[in-house]
Amino acid sequence: MLEFLLQQAWQAIRRNGLVSLAASTNMTVALTILGAFFLATINLHHMAEIEARKAIITVDLLDDADAGKVETQLLADQRVDQTQFVPKEQALKDTCARFGFSIELLKGLEEESPYENPLPNAIAIRVKDPQDIPAVATAAGKLDGVKKVRYRKQITDKLLTLAHGIKVSGLVMAAVMGLATLLLVSTTIRLTIYARRREIRIMQLVGATNWFIRLPFILEGAFHGVVGGVLASILLLASYTYVQGYVGENLAFIGLVFGARPLVLFGVATVACGTVFGVAGSWVGVRGYLRAV
Amino acid sequence: MIDMQGVGVVYPDGTRALAGIDLHIDRGEFAFIVGASGSGKTTLLQLIYRELVPTEGRVLIAGQDVASLPRSRVPQLRRKVGVVFQDFRLLPDKNVWENIAFALDVVGASRKEKYRKVPLSLELVGLIDKEQSLPHELSGGEQQRVCIARALVNSPAILLADEPTGNLDPDISWEIVQLLSSISERGTTVAVATHDRYIVDGLRKRVVSLVGGTMVRDDREGGGYDEP
Repeated sequence: MLEFLLQQAWQAIRRNGLVSLAASTNMTVALTILGAFFLATINLHHMAEIEARKAIITVDLLDDADAGKVETQLLADQRVDQTQFVPKEQALKDTCARFGFSIELLKGLEEESPYENPLPNAIAIRVKDPQDIPAVATAAGKLDGVKKVRYRKQITDKLLTLAHGIKVSGLVMAAVMGLATLLLVSTTIRLTIYARRREIRIMQLVGATNWFIRLPFILEGAFHGVVGGVLASILLLASYTYVQGYVGENLAFIGLVFGARPLVLFGVATVACGTVFGVAGSWVGVRGYLRAV
Repeated sequence: MIDMQGVGVVYPDGTRALAGIDLHIDRGEFAFIVGASGSGKTTLLQLIYRELVPTEGRVLIAGQDVASLPRSRVPQLRRKVGVVFQDFRLLPDKNVWENIAFALDVVGASRKEKYRKVPLSLELVGLIDKEQSLPHELSGGEQQRVCIARALVNSPAILLADEPTGNLDPDISWEIVQLLSSISERGTTVAVATHDRYIVDGLRKRVVSLVGGTMVRDDREGGGYDEP
């Protein structure tokens, strides 16, 4: 029985060669676009998050504050990843380094006149999710002994907005593309059904169950999905590897998501996605037709 | 086996196809349904294999009301009812054996069952030596025999034929109708819709005559096309 079903599906694929080719090609194109969009989305999102994660909240402390206590309180917040105490001497060194002063120069100054380091002791905070930066900053500002909280608000906010926008538009595009693919497959299956309407008619007359009539078409849809998925993932992975090589050489500051595991996973997901689309599309096509008979 | 009580059919567009049909056909009986084109013969047969459900009245097949039959049970009914058409409806790219086996395949028969039943069916219609031929290599009469073999291969209780001789020469028509008659003698209920006067007059079996969707005559004694 299974043999017969598979044979039916395979015969249909072979006999309607051109239509089958069109279906698999459609599926390949749709999945490639879908996959490319997905790759672009995760990479942009990945980059935005990396940038955002670099953002640090700096908590300036009052001179008489108990740094240890503030740090403990900060760490108690679940959203905080790690904290680092930056003594004022360190801050001065960092500042000098950034602006190219020599620390010796300052030391010299100190000997001549009583010099006081104007920088406060500070605690640097990294948060787990960049999304939480504003909230953590506000909370930190309310702690005892905190003079001022600083973070690079605009940049962080912009990056976060960008990351969010990419995620949302990617999802919307994926949904639209997915729907288009579904319609494409169901139309293709309708064409094959039309080409085989005579057989279907006979099957119905001799008492084949609807399931039995549908199954070869569902298998056919799955076949187109698998073929499309395999071709699309080959195309995508090949071009992605190429792009990654190019970026690595010329635009090294862009960190692309790369590695054997995510890429294999991506390929498998593309094929799975194609199969689901194929099955769902043919399901829609077959249902529509059999109801009409 | 077939029981119709006050059956009427009105198509969705408002055309009335049948009205007030009371018809009973017993197990193993042979009946001609005669009438001009558009008199409702095909509609009557379609009620039996549940291509249609009656708008009025009841159709009982082996005691089962077809209108109340859920969609999922229709295939089971169809396995009990073999249908033969004027235009044969064979699959052009399958040979005779495969065409008949197809009817077994789609009901999930095993390989063993196929090898047992297909030759039996072919033998019944006298085509055992043509099993490898493709439909277009056969004459019209032979194609119709293949159709009958396919309709019979699931051992249905009822065999319906809609203008089975419409595309055939008179001599061949006569052979086909005799084959159908011999099938009814083996216990299968056979109903043949036709406007072929020649075969009706020749066989002298029960004749149910339709005019404009109503039954005007039911001659159980074996009449001619026009007169008892």
